Amino acid sequence: MLEAAIVIAAVAVGSGLAMIAGLGPGIGQGFVAGKAVEAIGRQPEAENTVRTTMILGQAIAESTGIYSLAVALLMIFSFAFPMFEKLMELLG
Amino acid sequence: MEPEVLFHIGPLPITETVFFTWIVMAVLTVLSIVFTRNLKRVPTGAQHLVELAVDGIESMVQADLGKRGRGYTPFIMTIALFILTSNLLSIVPHAFPPTQDLNTTGALAVLVLLVAHGSEIRVKGIGAYIKSYFQPFWWMFPLNIVGEFAKVLSHAFRLYGNIIGGTIIVGILYMFAPYVLPVPLMGWFGVFMGVIQTAVFTLLAIAYIQVRLE
Repeated sequence: MLEAAIVIAAVAVGSGLAMIAGLGPGIGQGFVAGKAVEAIGRQPEAENTVRTTMILGQAIAESTGIYSLAVALLMIFSFAFPMFEKLMELLG
Repeated sequence: MEPEVLFHIGPLPITETVFFTWIVMAVLTVLSIVFTRNLKRVPTGAQHLVELAVDGIESMVQADLGKRGRGYTPFIMTIALFILTSNLLSIVPHAFPPTQDLNTTGALAVLVLLVAHGSEIRVKGIGAYIKSYFQPFWWMFPLNIVGEFAKVLSHAFRLYGNIIGGTIIVGILYMFAPYVLPVPLMGWFGVFMGVIQTAVFTLLAIAYIQVRLE
């Protein structure tokens, strides 16, 4: 029973640590948006091109955050949930 | 979160993903037939909408791929329509959007990879294709191989992660406030992020094909 509890606690802490990767995409996307605003201010006629490039760049910058989300979800659903069910069975 | 097995056909389990993929296919087929039934030289009514969509995708493809982009328009358009319909399915209660399964997004990413590499072999020939793995130096070969696999993985995980992330956040809010509050959030994650992720997947597909053709 203690082992199951330790696994659940470790997975909770681990998923939280994995989601620290959310910092990077946030900073990166903000930076891209700021630069895009600068570009549109300088050349308003290029707005459509800049917007498309900005969204594409932001989506690529977001990948690292999405990977950390996938890792966190994988840990929760494949390790914590089975242990949780086992624990509930033991407790009755 | 995981797709459930609905029923079996012979030994094949039919999951929610497969079932809702069929529904998306049926919706797209019926809409295609309805929208293109009597096309006129001067467009009227719904034909405006269809021409707008086709023109948009075509100009997007030709901006990156140049003249030979014309042949890729149907493929890119099909991917875009399929992903858009699947993503919009996430605002329907009890529906399971097929893009919420890594198998669907993985299959689409592999399809884009096959088209990109196939068209490179067709345009440049097999010799130049094999040679491109040893650029710029011969010992870069493993890195180039890993780079191709990383492209497919990130392409598939980006769409899957965004859709399932939205579903989880809406689901958590649904537990606390079941009736009114999740609706705007569903609009944000289902409609806005769905459209953005469709555009991103499509643009990246075009970019991946373009990179191999250069």
